[in-house]
Amino acid sequence: MKKLIYILFSLLFTHFLWSQERKFQVNGDARGYLFAKNMLIDKALDTINAPRANYGHTLLDLGFSIFPNNNTEIISSFRIRNELGGFWGGGVSFNVRQLTLNGVAGNKVKYNLGDIDVKMTPYTLYNFQEEGIVNEAEIFALRRQVVHYDMFYMPNNTWRMQGGQVAFGLKFNKVLQALEFKGFITRQRPTDGITIPERLFGGGSATWKQNDQLQFSYNSISLFDLTRTINDSIRYKNHVQTLSAKYRSKTQHNFQWGVDAEGGTSNVNYINYTNPAAPDLQNDWFYDAAFVFDYKKSKIVTKLGYKDVGADFFSPGAQTKRVDFTKFPGVFQQYTNNAVGRAINLTDIINHNAGYSYQLSDRLMAYNVAYDNINPYGIATPNRRGVYFNLEQKDSLKFKRSFIQIAQLFESRGMGTNVKKSFTSLAGGMDIALNDFLAWKREIVFNFGVRHDITNRGGEDYKKIKLTSTLIDVGLSVRLVGKLDLLLGTKYFKAAGNEFVNTRNAFNTITDLLTVSMDFTETTIAGGFRYKFSEKNQLLLNYQLHQIKDNKPSGINYGISQFNILYTLSF
Amino acid sequence: MKKLLLFSIVISALISCRKFDKDNFDGPSLEDSFGPFAILEDLNRGNYEVDFSAGQKVAFNMTLSKNTNWVIKIEGANSGAIRTITGTERILSLENALWNGGANKFPSFNLEKAYITVTFPNEENSPIVRDSVLITGLKQDQGFLITSFESGIAPNWQQFNQTTVQGKIECDPDLAAKGSCFYSWNGTVGWDWAIGSVTVKPPAGSTSFNLPASANNLFFNIAFKALQNVGPQNSFLLFWFDEDDNGDGVFDLNTEDRFIYEYWSNTLDWDLISRKYADLKFDKDGAVQNTNGNGLTEPSKLISVNVFFLANPGNGNAKAYADHMIFTLNEPYQP
Repeated sequence: MKKLIYILFSLLFTHFLWSQERKFQVNGDARGYLFAKNMLIDKALDTINAPRANYGHTLLDLGFSIFPNNNTEIISSFRIRNELGGFWGGGVSFNVRQLTLNGVAGNKVKYNLGDIDVKMTPYTLYNFQEEGIVNEAEIFALRRQVVHYDMFYMPNNTWRMQGGQVAFGLKFNKVLQALEFKGFITRQRPTDGITIPERLFGGGSATWKQNDQLQFSYNSISLFDLTRTINDSIRYKNHVQTLSAKYRSKTQHNFQWGVDAEGGTSNVNYINYTNPAAPDLQNDWFYDAAFVFDYKKSKIVTKLGYKDVGADFFSPGAQTKRVDFTKFPGVFQQYTNNAVGRAINLTDIINHNAGYSYQLSDRLMAYNVAYDNINPYGIATPNRRGVYFNLEQKDSLKFKRSFIQIAQLFESRGMGTNVKKSFTSLAGGMDIALNDFLAWKREIVFNFGVRHDITNRGGEDYKKIKLTSTLIDVGLSVRLVGKLDLLLGTKYFKAAGNEFVNTRNAFNTITDLLTVSMDFTETTIAGGFRYKFSEKNQLLLNYQLHQIKDNKPSGINYGISQFNILYTLSF
Repeated sequence: MKKLLLFSIVISALISCRKFDKDNFDGPSLEDSFGPFAILEDLNRGNYEVDFSAGQKVAFNMTLSKNTNWVIKIEGANSGAIRTITGTERILSLENALWNGGANKFPSFNLEKAYITVTFPNEENSPIVRDSVLITGLKQDQGFLITSFESGIAPNWQQFNQTTVQGKIECDPDLAAKGSCFYSWNGTVGWDWAIGSVTVKPPAGSTSFNLPASANNLFFNIAFKALQNVGPQNSFLLFWFDEDDNGDGVFDLNTEDRFIYEYWSNTLDWDLISRKYADLKFDKDGAVQNTNGNGLTEPSKLISVNVFFLANPGNGNAKAYADHMIFTLNEPYQP
């Protein structure tokens, strides 16, 4: 009898789903992630901290898409997460991961409300990539994707925010082709009702499409405090506005050239602040213009550009870092018998052990000069001017992808001195389909990438800076049998030299410069197996050894070995 | 091709827009922090004579080539009083290098010559700058001075000394914590801890020291120097703060408050004993003392302060000085 009732209910539920075919959809992502880690350090140096950490979780992001009518979609996603060892609900958490309402009003205006992904130009709103990647191996990329997924760091560089956005366009038959308008408003911070006013972030763009070749955009974006949300008149306001242009010539003889350009201003006001350290107004400007040459036959695109970003140019949407280097890693936070706080390293970032940003910062965040001293705030890094050159070849017969990036930049304003720093960055990488070279059926992909950065400053001895860093990524992916892949990867990072690390106050002003010298290497070797049940379902078994060798006399060498299991399923 | 040329001209024009900022830089000057050290403007401390009693102060003016640690040490030629002023700024001025005539601790400065040295501990081979100033008037104390023992034993004070002890006022500006005179005990008492005491009372004709009513921001201060039988197990001063709770001008131990406080010696130098009056109601273990009056610390009712020197009888001779009993508001006494 029980079986009969069960079958009846199952049939009814299935019937309900079929009848709601166009109105209801279930999807989701499931994950199991288990870690076993060991701290490798001279026992004489550390007898007080536990050298082992085992942890993990399983989770399910269950998403529902509801289509009440042809023009509306409601997306919800609920996360159920169970920490390893949290039996009987002890370690279980339930969260709403996403709640969004998408629609089209009057068949003309697209709108999104709730959790939205927003992006504009690289100088207004752009979630730029974190440190430590130069065409990295798949064995690292798979685990980095977990971080990106959890933090909503999408491949198209959007920021996940809460608010609303609209977009609509007008098409014309004469004079111009189209006008497109986009706008959004999001809440960045609630008020505490006492001292912290409510903060909003909003902006929009108007794009004039002259034809298929030429378009101009006006972009405007603001981070600002709402008045009267506290009983005080203090108010922060940042406003960035830019003009961007894109031109592409007609393709002739498989060749097309074009121009990408953007220029604009930023200003920051600290209104009614009584703190004498608060500047009345900070403003500056930038421009970035590049020629683009597209050799369509050989699939090579080159870009030669020049940019000048003012020292006081501040655009929170484009300059907020993903990784907060003021935080300590989530595992093995301290080491040695002196309980020294461990700094975030490159594999902590991959392993979900760093502090990550989910809100925009109203000041330039701290960064590690060793990992990226040239563009620590992405393309929109302030106080940089100079020339850059990029070359990219996509998907040739034997080379899946290859690229070269070169930049020669300078400070436009010195730091602590009138002598300016110069920055040289050379990067390149390639994915090679070895099986094509060797005429093998099974896929073998070798990838490598190299980035070498040099920072220089002359002047008297105490002003001199010479800092070099090199990051090498190498990886190999081999299809062994059926759906089983062997994944190998290594990262090698070396930094040596000296620099001055700046400290900023709450008003984004540099208040201190600390001299640092370094000579260390980070080596990460990883190997594992991946079984692809399907394109959306895979299991990764991975072992990794990470070692830091500090060559300074006072340096502390340590390593972290880890074994982890990652299971992912999307449906 | 024309368009390419046009765009090239526009971009070239953009490139020439901004010039390098040659006049400004971000952050503090590296030269101030890391540059070579030099004295750009030598020490200037104004007049050779200074009368602190008239409100005069000594400002040390000096300009250095960089921010670095500097130490100004002022030492009394006779008293041995020492005042140090430290800082890291590149420019020394009245903002950061001002001397009001005070010392770091007892002894205080006297009417004497004071020698000044300025040193730069973090700068190798840096010069030592030397100077001097003549003190013609002493810093005026802020507070309620009870006695500095400069005027001898008042008729209404009471003294107790064991038969083998000399307890008296001595005068020698080189030995006093402040001024010229101080109270001393000197003697060997092999049978008892008690050495001697002096009970300080209000001036003749008065029954109080005219102290404010609030005990919460009033500090009792006295200078203490143990010379023999020294150490936290060996000798101490015992204070009795007697309050005239009923206002009859006479202290009655059976019905009024006596707050007791003891301070053990720990150094051969002059020591500043300082205690908030409100805290006198607690004993050394933090417990509220049992007294026979209303149990309230009421400085306006203070009728006498007994200073009692006690020392370990097994250690031979005991010797100690006391000087400059003063109450101050809001903070301990600044010598």
